[in-house]
Amino acid sequence: MNLTLSLDFQYTTTIEKLWSALTDSSKLAKWVANIQTGQPMENNFKPVVGHHFQFRTQPTEYWNGIIEGEVLIVEEPHRLSYTWASGEKHTITWTLQDLGDGKVNLHLEQTGISNAQALNGAKYGWSKWCGDLEKVFA
Amino acid sequence: MSENKQIRDVFDAIADPTRRRLIQLLSEKAEIPLHELTVQFPMGRTAVSKHLTILKEAGLVLDRKVGRETRFRLNASPLREIQDWVAFYSKFWSKNMLRLGQLLEEEEE
Repeated sequence: MNLTLSLDFQYTTTIEKLWSALTDSSKLAKWVANIQTGQPMENNFKPVVGHHFQFRTQPTEYWNGIIEGEVLIVEEPHRLSYTWASGEKHTITWTLQDLGDGKVNLHLEQTGISNAQALNGAKYGWSKWCGDLEKVFA
Repeated sequence: MSENKQIRDVFDAIADPTRRRLIQLLSEKAEIPLHELTVQFPMGRTAVSKHLTILKEAGLVLDRKVGRETRFRLNASPLREIQDWVAFYSKFWSKNMLRLGQLLEEEEE
């Protein structure tokens, strides 16, 4: 079973600057924050395939505050992928696309989201399916 | 995350394509008798019943006897848990991507 989160954002910048913001450890520390507290997360990220990294935030009663990952794909400046694990292991894939006119599209896919890791359910268009479910709640 | 009080995990219940199809069929009508559900699948009544039992255990399906037939209806609320689960990450990245936008704007100045 596999839920996929998919998001798109457009930025007025160059693809190189966006790539740097996604891969430079000191820049990542400026925007990847703990959403509960808004605190930035320390990290030792490097855009090197096979590199193991951590993002750290204040631990809570329920969570040690550590997200662990391993870099899977580095295709500068278009594609970056890594695992992202705090409890269960997901995969994050960023795709950067130059739209011209000084705009860049950033696409995020986070796959492997479930809370039952032992499941071997069929692969399915989960986000679409969840979208269809909106009608059920109406 | 919302707490799960059902005896079966809702994620487990929807991990099977037959059960997802059952949910969709039940979402289209108020109530459907078992024999009407069975004809929609290339499997016997017993197999479909088993899937419905799993959905029932997850709190997704309610049934009642009417004469000699069993009728099923959907209870969609446990599916919210699925949405909440994804929404957590969605919120995390959306918020952070907005911060990323601010960072890039500062760089431009």
